[in-house]
Amino acid sequence: MTSETAAPVGPFYDALHANYIVTLGDKLDSPTSYEGAVTEHLRVSGVYWSLAALALLRTEGEVDDLMGLTKPIQAATDGTDENKIRSAIVDWVFQCYDARVGGFGGNCSGENPHDAHLLYTLSALQVLAISNSLDDERLDKDAIANYVSSLQNEDGSFSGDEWGEIDTRFTYIAFSCLALLGKLPLPDWNNSNSTQVVSEEKPIIDTYKAVKYIMSCRNFDGGFGCVPGAESHAGQVFTCVGALSIAQSLHLLEDADLLSWWLAERQCDSGGLNGRPEKQADVCYSWWILSALSILGRVDWINTGKLGQFILNCQDDEDGGIADRPMDMPDVYHTFFGLCGLSLIGQLEKIGNKEGQNYRQIDPVFALPTDVVSRLGLKAQVIRNGGVDVEKRLQLHSILDI
Amino acid sequence: MNIPDVFSDIDPISQSDGPEPACAITYTPEFVEAHDYLRAVLKADERSERAFALTTICLKFNPANYTCWHFRRRCLVSLCTPTDSDARATVDVERIDTDLEFADKLGGTNPKNYQLWYHRRALLEIRFKGDERIQVAQKELGYVDKILGDDNKNYHAWSHRQWIIRTINQPQLWSAEIEYSHSKILLDPRNNSAWNQRWFATHEGEIAANSGMKLGKLSFEKAEEEANYAVCGAQVDPFNESPWRYLIGVLMEQCRWVQREEGADDKDKVNGLLRDCVAKIKDMNDSPTEDYPAGPCVSLMSALVDLLETVGDKTSLEEAKNMMGELVVEDPVRRKYWHKRQSTVLVLLGKVSE
Repeated sequence: MTSETAAPVGPFYDALHANYIVTLGDKLDSPTSYEGAVTEHLRVSGVYWSLAALALLRTEGEVDDLMGLTKPIQAATDGTDENKIRSAIVDWVFQCYDARVGGFGGNCSGENPHDAHLLYTLSALQVLAISNSLDDERLDKDAIANYVSSLQNEDGSFSGDEWGEIDTRFTYIAFSCLALLGKLPLPDWNNSNSTQVVSEEKPIIDTYKAVKYIMSCRNFDGGFGCVPGAESHAGQVFTCVGALSIAQSLHLLEDADLLSWWLAERQCDSGGLNGRPEKQADVCYSWWILSALSILGRVDWINTGKLGQFILNCQDDEDGGIADRPMDMPDVYHTFFGLCGLSLIGQLEKIGNKEGQNYRQIDPVFALPTDVVSRLGLKAQVIRNGGVDVEKRLQLHSILDI
Repeated sequence: MNIPDVFSDIDPISQSDGPEPACAITYTPEFVEAHDYLRAVLKADERSERAFALTTICLKFNPANYTCWHFRRRCLVSLCTPTDSDARATVDVERIDTDLEFADKLGGTNPKNYQLWYHRRALLEIRFKGDERIQVAQKELGYVDKILGDDNKNYHAWSHRQWIIRTINQPQLWSAEIEYSHSKILLDPRNNSAWNQRWFATHEGEIAANSGMKLGKLSFEKAEEEANYAVCGAQVDPFNESPWRYLIGVLMEQCRWVQREEGADDKDKVNGLLRDCVAKIKDMNDSPTEDYPAGPCVSLMSALVDLLETVGDKTSLEEAKNMMGELVVEDPVRRKYWHKRQSTVLVLLGKVSE
């Protein structure tokens, strides 16, 4: 065994992590908790991170039992409020739906959803995907698709909400939302340079223009930024590569080597990855960079053993959860992306969970467990680099040889 | 301001929390009161002085409330433009400038909240319509400089600069921005954001100077200057990734150009520049400066092998192959990568030897 593939040293705290995620839900409910206050406006995303993280550790049924996904559950009490029943997460997600615009808010106050935003709309759809509820009759797919469509700008870019912030993140989110709804029109690169017309009607969005906009955000170092001209950032690289993948347009990435080298250079001596040159390593980049490298077929360009070790070093060995870097406080965002990182380098697979079963795997395009992606029949695109076999988890996507 | 007194004619709208919410939220009474009245004035779309003052209170509670920012601008625009006719001529610019200061104070020295930047942009769009647009832009660039003084990689701040310069699109601002990026690089040569800004200012500045004619590349003369600039930057600190990325970017852009039909005339010049850079980098590799530790420098070597591969003759490919062998040892984190590169270069060598 060479040093690159050597298994990281140290335990993986399966039970602690699961417990951390499950009890987090109760902390969020507690009016006095810090966690509840800071994540209040993005609660739907927090719920998605929690569920997706737990989904990598536990089966679908266990996740439902532990989190109360599709049914109300008894919430743990903090001593003040006994026998508190928490309504099903799916029902709460629908309360965050703003029927006036067709999008989801980050939270709701009683019956009133907060203002809708693309970010939370994707998180909500991801929660519904994980809970197998995308066919719930409360989900108005046409209205949501129209909302996504209304946020596309003349130049092909997407705004995150009606107030207009533009960012390549929102293109990825728009594509992912429409793909989850089964409504993404694909550009027809073989025929004319236009978005494929599936019927007589005008396509819901101009995917061709959206993809062109993504490409206009490509930089001299091979990476991508938020908007044209903006510095390359690993998070934006994921959203741009992910968007190209969902839109089956990865062939536009000429010189994928240049981009992949930029990504490989993000690995620091600690084994962790940073988001921009000279920035500190952070566990969340395990996701942003590995997902992009997975799609590009070049995960082996970095030292996965050292990265796995870095992520394991960021675990909280007392209370569970994973932090941004060693010795910091864990949070659910880094817990999810840390688990994703371990999954994408095959580390979780090697460990095998408590019952000796294999862990569920994360899909690097949709950020959902691969069994969910497969069940939904979602098909993105990945690159086969140099004839090397595509990882098993990616074989549900179409494969581009370049 | 005593909110219930000032809004005595308005019925506040409270949040209707249902029983047993999945995720309950608790706020302070002051927060709840202000937002209950905000909901009421929003519903009535009351664009008044008191409504404007109420947004100030709410934004101090939560500067990320984009609904509140938007409503504040609606109020401001209504209050600044007394009549609907010829709104631009009657804009109260002082009031807009005061609100820019308000956003400044709320953001502190490290505003990462996008709403603050968006608010500035919306207000500046009004100000840029006036005759003093260049002065206003320069003042705003001064504000961004203050922010970058505190956090020299603030992503929103750099994007804001780009927006200002693109929007005004005056030669003096484009050339000043090249100088500005230079000054930031001098302060911290490892500030990759500043290198990115230099690329932006040289490239889009050139497009602007050629009245939008978009070749998507620098002229050869400019490229030569920029390549030399990058080599100088790399000489200052060869372990710095940024100048190497910049150099490769500049050279590859020219190489791609000469591969096209309309660029064929520049082929010899570009090849000359490429070889010239390779020679300089080899010199650096052979005789490291006193400031830096002797021994291999991965950033330098990885740039050099890229360029040697681009030169592509037998000798250069041999050199690249040997250097990749060194990199397998010297860059253990990316050892597999360098093994792969070695096999690629062997294929290339096979082709030139045929």
